[in-house]
Amino acid sequence: MSEEQTTASVFDAIEFFYGKPWTDGYPIVPPTRELVAAMLEGTRRNPDEELGLVPPNFETLTVRMVAEHAVMAGALPRYLPVILGGMTAILDEKLNMHGVQTTIHGVAPLMIVNGPYARKIGLNGGRGCFGPGFRANTTIGRTIRLILYNVGGGYPSASFSCFGQPSRYTYCIAENEAESPWEPLSVTRGFRAGQDVVTVVQCENPHLVHDDANDEPERLHVSTTDCMANLGGMNAYRATDMVVALAPDIADNFAKAGMSKADVHKLLCDKAGRRVGDLKRGGLWRLERLNRWVTKVDPDDDDCFVPTIQEPSRLFLIVAGSRPGATTAVMHGWNETTRGVSVAYDA
Amino acid sequence: MSLSFLDPSVTTSKSVAMAPRPESLAGKTVGLFDNTKEQADIVLEALGEELMRSHGVREVITRRGIHYSKPAPLEIVEEMARKCDIVICALGG
Repeated sequence: MSEEQTTASVFDAIEFFYGKPWTDGYPIVPPTRELVAAMLEGTRRNPDEELGLVPPNFETLTVRMVAEHAVMAGALPRYLPVILGGMTAILDEKLNMHGVQTTIHGVAPLMIVNGPYARKIGLNGGRGCFGPGFRANTTIGRTIRLILYNVGGGYPSASFSCFGQPSRYTYCIAENEAESPWEPLSVTRGFRAGQDVVTVVQCENPHLVHDDANDEPERLHVSTTDCMANLGGMNAYRATDMVVALAPDIADNFAKAGMSKADVHKLLCDKAGRRVGDLKRGGLWRLERLNRWVTKVDPDDDDCFVPTIQEPSRLFLIVAGSRPGATTAVMHGWNETTRGVSVAYDA
Repeated sequence: MSLSFLDPSVTTSKSVAMAPRPESLAGKTVGLFDNTKEQADIVLEALGEELMRSHGVREVITRRGIHYSKPAPLEIVEEMARKCDIVICALGG
């Protein structure tokens, strides 16, 4: 249970939290009893309900603790259902948050939110959605980060990530369902249209691929699939997840050529890859690692094509960003021990 | 104006004491935990042989995890705690 503290002023309270190793470097909204009680009005769930153990320290997380962190992050009570949905996905062992909390690498859990409630609370999937300026995106993701640092204990001085990455401050978007020519990610993942769903995938920052020179599919995929297969990303050498977000104009160009979402997904899976001879030149190539691959290759066959997406279910294809925008965001993944998780949540 | 608020800090006071170090390895059972990182098995095999040859270790028990990005399985942790005087966890590289 959280202890009560008293300081001479609100500024001293902010400084009090700057003295903690688990805050993120931005000012904290002091979680007064009144603000926490107001935050809890955002859900019908019992404040004492336990959501699970947050790795690697395995402290128990309750709904009340989530509300405390949401206040500190600057969130509004109506954001709380999305945060609770996101935490449920993050605590699913399939996502392997334990590994990411302790890895030397720097990936972060990206939350992609589908459904009407995301629109209602102003969660942005359009213009500038990966950048600053949107309270719902910023504070929902920041709440998750503060929980991972404080309750999980994964803050920098206690963990190993060599660089960290900017998306460890916050990493939460909606899908731009309104401007997508296709069904949303949640439907692709087996949920009903119109259901409120959060999907979490461990990935790197977005790499922005700009192509305003092509609109026919056979050329339009090239810079994206090349980026997907880049030797500096983990996916070239590991069977793991990846998120690709197409801007609406890019998605439209594929759709105008008669391609469904499944067609584009297959095109990216088929075209992104490297030949063994290329992979062997450096990078993460090691013979001992090949037994972790889903794709079985002969290491002596230099012409053998190794798909970057070794299992189609590991490519999460969404539409996000705004018009005009001839841009695709590629988010490389981490390693074979994680799988993206989708959960329906009660708004 | 003073302000009262909650402090949700849960991890800052947590620390685990180092296990006591043995004076000698003679007659001891040593556990070697391979976290599956590449070549950890080679390093540990050589280490185990050397511990028995030069330091009088009675027995070496080697166990392997699932993946270096996942925690050691609880049953292996408990088994090693039960059987071993000392456990060395090793990374490959």
